[in-house]
Amino acid sequence: MSLDLQVRDLVVRSREGRDLLTVARLDVPAGSKIGIRGPSGAGKSTLLFAIAGLLKPASGDVSWGEHRISDMRAAERARFRRENVGLVFQDFLLFEELSSLGNAAIAARYAKASTRRSIVASARAGLARLGLESLGGRRVDSFSGGERQRVAVARALANDPAIILADEPTASLDRASADRMVDDLASLASESGRTLVAVSHDPALHERMDWVIDVVDGRPLV
Amino acid sequence: MVPEFWPEFWYGLPVFVQDAAWFVLLLLPALVTGLVVVWSFRPFSLVWAMIWRYRWTNALFVLLIAISVGLGVGLIAQERGIRQGTARAAEKFDLVVTAPGSEVQMMLATVYLQPVDVPLLDGKTYDAIASNENVALAAPIAYGDSFHESSVIGTTAAFVTHLSGDLAEGRMFAAVDEAVVGARVPLDIGATFTPAHGVGDAAEEGAHEGALLRVVGRMAPTGSPWDRAILVPVESVWKVHGLPLGHGPEREGQIGPPFDPDYFPGTPAILVRADQLWANYALRSEFTTDRTMAFFPGAVLSQLHGLLGDVRQVMSVMAVVTQVLVTLGVLAGLAVLIRLYARRLALLRALGAPDRFVFAVVWTYAATLIFTGAILGIVVGMAAVGIISKIVTARTDILVEATLAWPEFHLVAGFVSLTVLMALTPAFMALSRDVITDLRS
Repeated sequence: MSLDLQVRDLVVRSREGRDLLTVARLDVPAGSKIGIRGPSGAGKSTLLFAIAGLLKPASGDVSWGEHRISDMRAAERARFRRENVGLVFQDFLLFEELSSLGNAAIAARYAKASTRRSIVASARAGLARLGLESLGGRRVDSFSGGERQRVAVARALANDPAIILADEPTASLDRASADRMVDDLASLASESGRTLVAVSHDPALHERMDWVIDVVDGRPLV
Repeated sequence: MVPEFWPEFWYGLPVFVQDAAWFVLLLLPALVTGLVVVWSFRPFSLVWAMIWRYRWTNALFVLLIAISVGLGVGLIAQERGIRQGTARAAEKFDLVVTAPGSEVQMMLATVYLQPVDVPLLDGKTYDAIASNENVALAAPIAYGDSFHESSVIGTTAAFVTHLSGDLAEGRMFAAVDEAVVGARVPLDIGATFTPAHGVGDAAEEGAHEGALLRVVGRMAPTGSPWDRAILVPVESVWKVHGLPLGHGPEREGQIGPPFDPDYFPGTPAILVRADQLWANYALRSEFTTDRTMAFFPGAVLSQLHGLLGDVRQVMSVMAVVTQVLVTLGVLAGLAVLIRLYARRLALLRALGAPDRFVFAVVWTYAATLIFTGAILGIVVGMAAVGIISKIVTARTDILVEATLAWPEFHLVAGFVSLTVLMALTPAFMALSRDVITDLRS
């Protein structure tokens, strides 16, 4: 099933009732690589979280193919993410006391018994693909920033998602590591026809995207 | 509805099985909750990672629980140990006859060697008791003197044998200047000493100057204050006080019964042992008169224990309440501690982990701390009981051998079940947090 992103008349408000994000219309075909950029506080991450189903909009629709996630209950949205979305964060968000494989295959701990093996195999393959095969058994607290972010990417890929959503994936990395991360994300998305939406200030990342959306004052300039 | 066969079936079971069944029953809520919460998930390595990340904070929580549990179980075990120890110390004292007064005071003086000034029983009374056809043993117990920390008790050789069986060392006293010491008296065989008049701070050291007694034997341990006592022929006590020696001129130099009532100076107490159980009751009745009081130390002790039993129940309830309060405090702390893990839990929820899994992680984390604390608490309790038993034994000479038993394990099982159920609260609280806020924190 094709998971094209469609956003219509989306409004996200703060608890105090302030409009944080307003999106009249946004269409992203499945398999696209989209960059989102803009000044700090403009609403880039809010847009990412909204299309990830991590927050409930005040109004409007967010749909991935036939999945209208804006109408889903929290448990249904969690299930949608579990099955279709891989998330990468700026500061990795790993369990430092676990190994790289333990982190990459974390979904196996709450997945159905029938899918656990495939998740672990996929995580192992992801680590190998990202050059971390030899570090599989080591705790990630001894890893460099670049290695940690690659573990986070392997974790995002472990459930073989159709969508990768990345929030500032290169912001905590040095230039060399950031360049490698950009390569990895772009090639991983292209190779498997995944949709990649990446929030970033990094021009190098945006150069590898199919197109870039600027967000200003809570409004994407599409 | 309870089936008709239930009471018969239950009471037909061995006590061990009943206790074990209660233990399982009390632990069952915790086990069932754990099974239901964790079913189909694998939260354990994440829980371990959470515990390890803030290991010192978590260790402090576990320690708090352990101390709370340890104090609770230790308190109950110690109380039982003291009760058993005092009962064991009194079991050789079937029936005691003294002058009328307080049974408790007389029991403390005679059985636990806490002497008091009491009127003496005369020779006629002793003779009436000793010559009763049902009496197997009638031993005067003449207290009031001491040597350092040890009471010097005048009695008979038969009483020494009744109290401790065969001597551990040496031989029985056979002369008025000989003594047999208790197992813990720091006097060697052959040592000599002069008793003081009175005991403790009131003892008059020079009152019996010139009286020199020699140790000729040592009793086997009895686990009672008598282990610290020095036993001498009752004639010896009379002699150092300048009294007749209990025998007429024709039996001058005799040690032990029979005593001549006309030459019997008196004794504060007489231990009586009948050859039949029923005879003890008959003797008690016979010697409960205007001039004498007969009582069973075991019965007096039982009344005291009954009185203390109410205190024990209050203490048990207090122990449970204290533990629950400590655990409530710990759970409140856990709720705060969960905030340290808020970002990781938010990550799990962002990745799409079911709420039930996040719930399982938080609950398993809390339950692990509680279980670990409870198990460590049993160890703490055992250590505390061992140390306190030694101290109590050293201070009272009553052998207290307190060990943990089923009641303590029942208490711990109930405590664990209650608290892991309470641990559901921080797990629910973790789910009510805002994912985005925690991810950005």
